[in-house]
Amino acid sequence: MNPARKALRTLLAAALAAAVLAASACTTSTPQTETADSSEPAHLVFWNTGGDEEVAVLRAVADLYIAAHPGTTIDIQAVAWADSHAKILSAATAQQGPDVISGGLSWGNEFGQLGGMLDLREFGIVDEVKPLVAPGSWKSVESTDGAVYGVPMDMTLYLFYYRSDLLAAEGIAPPATWADLTAATEHFKGKGVDNPFVMTWSTLSWLQYTNFLKQAGGDWYTDDCSAVTVNTPEGVSALNYWADLHRKHGAPNEEPDLASGLESGDIVMANGGNWNLSGLDVSHPDLVGKWDVSVLPEGPAGAGSFIGGRVLGAMSYTKFPAQAADFIKFFYSDEAVAALQQAAKANGFLWISPRAELVDKLDTTDTAKTALKTTLQTAEGPPNCNGWDKSSPDIDKLLQEVVLNDADPAEKLGEIAALLTENLTG
Amino acid sequence: MSTTKAPEAAPPETPPETPARKKNHQPHLRRNLPGYLMLLPFLALFAAFLVWPLLNSLYLAFTDFNGIKPPGFVGFDNFERLWTDDARFRKALGNTVMYVIASVTLTTLLALALALAFRTTSLRDKTMRTIFFLPSVTSSMALFLIWGWIFDVEDFGLANTVLGWFGGDSVAWLSTPELAVPILVFISVWGGAGYGMIIFVAGLNAIPEELYEQAEIDGASTFRQFWHITLPLLRPVTTYVLVTSLIGAFQVFEAVYIVFRTTASNVGGILDSALMIVPYLYDMGFGKFELGFASAVAWTLFIIIFIVSTVQLRLTRTLKDL
Repeated sequence: MNPARKALRTLLAAALAAAVLAASACTTSTPQTETADSSEPAHLVFWNTGGDEEVAVLRAVADLYIAAHPGTTIDIQAVAWADSHAKILSAATAQQGPDVISGGLSWGNEFGQLGGMLDLREFGIVDEVKPLVAPGSWKSVESTDGAVYGVPMDMTLYLFYYRSDLLAAEGIAPPATWADLTAATEHFKGKGVDNPFVMTWSTLSWLQYTNFLKQAGGDWYTDDCSAVTVNTPEGVSALNYWADLHRKHGAPNEEPDLASGLESGDIVMANGGNWNLSGLDVSHPDLVGKWDVSVLPEGPAGAGSFIGGRVLGAMSYTKFPAQAADFIKFFYSDEAVAALQQAAKANGFLWISPRAELVDKLDTTDTAKTALKTTLQTAEGPPNCNGWDKSSPDIDKLLQEVVLNDADPAEKLGEIAALLTENLTG
Repeated sequence: MSTTKAPEAAPPETPPETPARKKNHQPHLRRNLPGYLMLLPFLALFAAFLVWPLLNSLYLAFTDFNGIKPPGFVGFDNFERLWTDDARFRKALGNTVMYVIASVTLTTLLALALALAFRTTSLRDKTMRTIFFLPSVTSSMALFLIWGWIFDVEDFGLANTVLGWFGGDSVAWLSTPELAVPILVFISVWGGAGYGMIIFVAGLNAIPEELYEQAEIDGASTFRQFWHITLPLLRPVTTYVLVTSLIGAFQVFEAVYIVFRTTASNVGGILDSALMIVPYLYDMGFGKFELGFASAVAWTLFIIIFIVSTVQLRLTRTLKDL
C-alpha cells in the first residue's frame, strides 16, 4: 500500500477513535422527572427482588391500591436476588426502568448516595411510617444525614431451630445461652452426630458474626457512625466463640440443607432465617411435631441478632415520584398488611411486615410468634454508616481467615476496623 | 521456456494522479457497492455493540464513574491503585495465572491425546469423539450448575457420594480454599478437551500418510514418528488451540460465578480462593459500582492477554525457525 495512503488511513482511524472517545466523555445525562399529584393516574413498574411466587402476593397490594386510585396501573416484575443488584444499578445508569424497587435492606442508602433513589422525606411519608417500623429495622434505612431513600418492606429474622424430640430424649433443654449451646453440641457429638449445630443463612459471613457480636455486647460502629467499634474485647470474644463453633464444635463451613438435615437427625440445632417456619413442615412432612423454634441463645451481654429484609424505594428518574411514594406508603396500611399476610399464607409462606405489632396476626405457632416478637426487641439491621456496603465483602474474607486459617481474631478485627474507618471517612 | 533473464527494468516512478486514474475509482466502487451494502448491517452492529462500548470503556478507565453520577477524569489513578494498592487484584491475578497455566497445558495435552486415540473414521472413534465433544455443545450455565451440585457438601453431592462408597469422609469441596483452583481447572479441562480434540483431529488428518510410510521404511519408532512428523506438522494447529484456550482461560467467569458464588456480594468464593480477573472486574463494576476502576481492570486484562498471546506467537515462530 502507498505509504502516504497508509499514513492517512491510520490518521483517520486515530481521529475517529478520538472523536468517539470525546463523544463518550460527553455521554452524561440528568434525571428527568415530572412532578405530579399522588392522586393523578400513573403507570408504575415495580421490580421486586425475590422469586416469582412473591409477585402474586404483591399483586394483592397492588390491586387494592389500583382500586383506590382509578386509572393507575402497576406492573410487578420479579428479579432474582442474584441479578437484582446489578440490574437496579443498570436501570439507574440508563435512567429508565422501574419506578419502584425492593432490594436488600442496605440498598436504599447505597443507591441513594449514588444519586439513584428519591429521598422519601420530600414526600412526607417518613413521619407517618417511621413510628410504625421496628426500631432495629428503621435504623438501617435512615442515612446518617437523615435522608431516607427507602423504607422497610418486610423483615427477615434469625431464629434458633431445633429437634425438640431429640433434645427431650437426651433430657436437654433448648439452649438459651452460649454455654448451653456448646454443651448440647458436644453432647450430641459424643453420641456420634458430626455436625449437631449448623449455621444457615450466609454461613461464614458478617451476617452470622453480627449475631454473636451483638450478643457479646459489641457493635460495628458507634450509634452516630462517628467511629468504628468492632475491634473491642467484646468483638474478639464474639469472634473467638463464632470461629470455635466452626473449628472445634463441628459447625460446617458450607451451608447445609436445613430441612433434610433436621429430618435425618444429622442436624439437631441450627440458626436460620424465619422463612423456615413455613417451609419445614411443607417440604418434609415427617418433621411435623418433631421440631420447634426459639430466639438465638444469649451471649455474655444478652440477646441480639441481625435483622434482614427488603427495602422499598423509588428510583430518582421516575416520571411519577409522588405516586411511587404514595404506593410505598400504602404498604403500611392495615388493609395492605392484611392482604399481604393473607396472600402469603395462600402461597405457603409468612409475610413479616415491618409493623412489629402485627406479628400476632401471622398464621404460625405460638412459640414461633413469641420467638419473632422477642427477637424483634433486640435485632438490628445492617449498619447505615458510610462505606459499609463497600467494606462488607472484604470483611467476610477477613472473618473467614480466622475460621479457616486460625488467624488471630484481634489482629483481623484490627484490620476490619482499619478498613471500615478508611471507607467511613474516604 | 526461456531461461534467459531479462534485464531488470528501472522501477517506475509513481505515476501522477491523472483524471483517467481518478475515473477508475468509479467502476471499482460501483462494482463493489453491493458488497459494501451487504456488509453495512454487520458493520453498524459491530460499531454499536463492540467498537463503541470498547472505546467508551477506555475513556471510563480514566474516570471515577460510579454508574450514576457523571464521570470525573482521574488520569492514571485507577491503574496506579490496581497495581500498587490492591491486594484483591493481586490475588485474582495470581489465581488466574495458576488457572491459565494448568488449564491450558492440561486441556491441550488431553485434547492431543484424545485426538491421537480417536482420529479415524471408525464407528468407535466417531462415537467417542461425539461423547468428548458433547460438553462443548451443551449450555455452559447448565453444566456449571451441575458441577455445583456434584461438589455440594450434602449427601446428594456426587463427589462425596463416590467418596462415601470407598469409605471416605465428606469433603467441603467448595469451601476448602486449597481446592478452589484445582476444581476450576478440572471443570475447564473436562469441558474444553473435546473441542481441542476436534481441531487436532483435523490437523492430524491433514498430515500426508506418505511421511509415516517413509519413516516406517526408514525404521523410525512410533514415538520418533510422533516427535519428528506429527508434532512439527501440528504446530499451526497447536498454536491455534493454545492461543484460543489461553484467551478463554484468562476470561474465565461463569464457572466462578455459578459454582463458587456464595452471597450476593461475594463472587470469589471463600477467602477469594476462586477469584479470577473477570469475576473481580464484575465485582468491582456491578457489586461496588466502581465502573471506572472496573474498566481499568478490563483494559489491564486486555494488555496482559495481548502480551502473552504475542509472546506465544513469537515463540512458536522462533521454534519453527529452529
